[in-house]
Amino acid sequence: MPRKQLVPAVASTYPRHSFPIMPAKVKVRDLSKRYGGLEAVRGVSFEVEAGEIFGLLGPNGAGKTTTVECLLGLREPDTGQLEVCGFDSRRQSREAKQRLGAALQSTALQDKITPREAVALFASFYRVAASPDTLLERFELADKANARFETLSGGQRQRLALALAFVNRPEVVLLDEPTTGLDPHSRRELHVSIRRMKEDGCTVLLTTHYLEEAEQLCDRVAIIDHGRIVATGAPRELVAASRSALSVTLTLRPGIEAALLASVPGVDELRVEGGTVSFRTRDATDTLATVTQLLREKRIEILDLHVRKASLEDVFLALTGNGESTPEAGG
Amino acid sequence: MNALVQHIRVSLRLHFRNKMALLYGYLFPLIFLIAFWVLYRHERIPLLRHMGELLTVSVLGGACFGLPTTLVSERERGVWRRYRLTPVPTWVVVTSTALARYVLVLSAGLLQLGLAFALGMTMPAHPFDLWVAFTLVSFAFIGLGLVIATLADNVPAVQALGQCLFLPMLIIGGVAVPLASLPDWAQHVSAFFPGRYAVESLQLCVTGAGLSATRFSLFALIVIGFAGCIAGAKLFRWDAQQRFAAIGGKAWILPVLASWIAVGVFAESRGRVKVAPATEIAVATTPAGAAPSSSGTKGAAASNATLPTASPPAAITATEAPTPSANTNATSPAPTPATTVTPPVTTAPAPTVALTPPPTVPAKPEPPWMKVTDKDVAALDYNVPPDQGIVSPIADRDEEVADFIKEQITTVQERLSTWEPGMDEDELQAVRNLLCVAAVPDSIQLPSERYVPRVVYEHLKERFPKDKLIKLLTWIAMNPERGMVLDEMNDLGIEGQAGDAYQVRERMYLYAIKFIARLTGRVEE
Repeated sequence: MPRKQLVPAVASTYPRHSFPIMPAKVKVRDLSKRYGGLEAVRGVSFEVEAGEIFGLLGPNGAGKTTTVECLLGLREPDTGQLEVCGFDSRRQSREAKQRLGAALQSTALQDKITPREAVALFASFYRVAASPDTLLERFELADKANARFETLSGGQRQRLALALAFVNRPEVVLLDEPTTGLDPHSRRELHVSIRRMKEDGCTVLLTTHYLEEAEQLCDRVAIIDHGRIVATGAPRELVAASRSALSVTLTLRPGIEAALLASVPGVDELRVEGGTVSFRTRDATDTLATVTQLLREKRIEILDLHVRKASLEDVFLALTGNGESTPEAGG
Repeated sequence: MNALVQHIRVSLRLHFRNKMALLYGYLFPLIFLIAFWVLYRHERIPLLRHMGELLTVSVLGGACFGLPTTLVSERERGVWRRYRLTPVPTWVVVTSTALARYVLVLSAGLLQLGLAFALGMTMPAHPFDLWVAFTLVSFAFIGLGLVIATLADNVPAVQALGQCLFLPMLIIGGVAVPLASLPDWAQHVSAFFPGRYAVESLQLCVTGAGLSATRFSLFALIVIGFAGCIAGAKLFRWDAQQRFAAIGGKAWILPVLASWIAVGVFAESRGRVKVAPATEIAVATTPAGAAPSSSGTKGAAASNATLPTASPPAAITATEAPTPSANTNATSPAPTPATTVTPPVTTAPAPTVALTPPPTVPAKPEPPWMKVTDKDVAALDYNVPPDQGIVSPIADRDEEVADFIKEQITTVQERLSTWEPGMDEDELQAVRNLLCVAAVPDSIQLPSERYVPRVVYEHLKERFPKDKLIKLLTWIAMNPERGMVLDEMNDLGIEGQAGDAYQVRERMYLYAIKFIARLTGRVEE
């Protein structure tokens, strides 16, 4: 299906938001990685500025995790340049890792290790280390400090993973799908933690397929699909820039033929299912005036009418082609 | 450095929290030890002669099963992948894992020694050397464990691979089954397995001359250990998603194979493969009067120039040999240097070890065995294994000889009366040599092991007056570690060698007791 290029995939098209100008903490240039015949990542480039929360947004299998794993040194990219805090993440990987904290999709530790031991062990791997007690306190693990990993709940394990990501007082934190599998309460707690990271001066790069999460948390997102970045920018900029900034839903009696409305100027992505008609438009006032005029002529009654602002989801669906890879809304 | 220490500490703590690991790491070696203790319950010093095997089994289990199982299961879980996100270098985690494992196998070895002491084992001859040898054995097997961890993609694969190494080493590699009782081909195969060198080096530190006598084994262990550690580190995989089939640099496995082959070829080229003389126990001092015919001593010493003559394990002779009667020592003019006896190393049909025609002997003092009294005879320990058992069996007088060994028994019967070692001028040595004929088939578990002792007994009865024979046998039973031991008697049609003079002596002792019991009517014929 041909994808509509609604938003140019160049971040600089949009006005930069108000961060002090500093060198980017993470730079990815022209990253490509293939597994056998599958091109998982195809020329991905983006930069994460100091102090921002940057989201890599995309459906499952889009290439988010591969991108992050290349940055972390877990995978060897085929081509591309990767920099973390000014260090080449391949050739100077040890220096890069000293400044990088990370939590993978699932963090596995030995069954019998306790949070206190794990934090102390990981702290010994770095030049600079935070106090284990402070970390356990901060991630609400103090009362579980001596419990074995196997007895921790999913949320506690996730918090321990985050504590480990902070053990070296990192400048940059990479979180791969940090909220996947968490219950709504844990997820909200995690959002609070991530905002706190930013307040503490950390730069955060996270991947997610939860659109609402990205919209709430991220200063900027890059939408990635089929191994390519299709849009980059602040969520509200992306929505604002969308041609179909408003979404209109009408319930009519009797129904109507799609062809009748398709010719109305300003109607995009028209869908007609029985008596329900939905479309997007940039100017609801003008478009609706034309539509109601048309309905009155045809003696069709409006039973219900909704106009709502487009969400990141709408932008996302428009960009990634909604059929094959639907992201989950919510968060 | 901090990371190294922390990781060792955490590894050890986790090990002690894991019940299965404890079971494998500690209970399993102890069970092995108890099994050996039961199996060899008739040995004079419990377990001492098997510590090499037992310690090797501990290290093998801990290093070739325990280590890769832990590594691979942690890798499968993703623990190592998480380590990978930190700047900790590979060598730190590999080294700390290996060191933690060393501490574990060392503690298992000490536990084994502790239990062995509790069961009555005496102090090893060279405790410090034993620790050094144990460390090198651990090094070799931990290297091997690292290689298994790189080859195996999952825990079941570790078990399979581990068994592929463990069982052959146990059975034909000289670890659980004495090499001497194995056929030639198995002895050649064992030269290519590290287990043999582990047992040899450890055992020589327990009952032999220590590290200095086991240089080749130590060298073999170091070579194998280095190859294993290097390949293990080079092929180390952090991530369970990297299957072995898909990783690069598989050629690093070659040095491991090459090291095994090189060690085996080297051993072959230096004629070290057939029956190890390693398990011989040196006798500390032998009073001249009690010494076997002087010609024999010379012959043995000459054929054995490479073995140490000043031998250390005083502990063994001192604590173990029934105190030779004081007057014997008193009459002896001067102690001669220790003698060690080993079976001939060559496969050539060398007749017997120690026999050259005796030179003219000056008038000798009264032989010590003549002083044996009825009291000495009564004081012997007649609690010996049953005649129908595995250790020191002896056929009843009227027992039918199985057809397939009839010919062999007849040969022994016929040749015994003209067998040169049996005619030794020194009657004591002659009886000893004849006891060896009974002891060797038992040591190597020949099918004829029940019948040859019977033939020897009848021959002895015929040859010596009863009272004299009782005295001779009693003296031998009182001094089982003195004199020469024969381990090859092809000329009697008995093929094979025990390769372990200690064992032959022990069986000689048992047969001496059994013969005395019959001669004195303690046991009915």
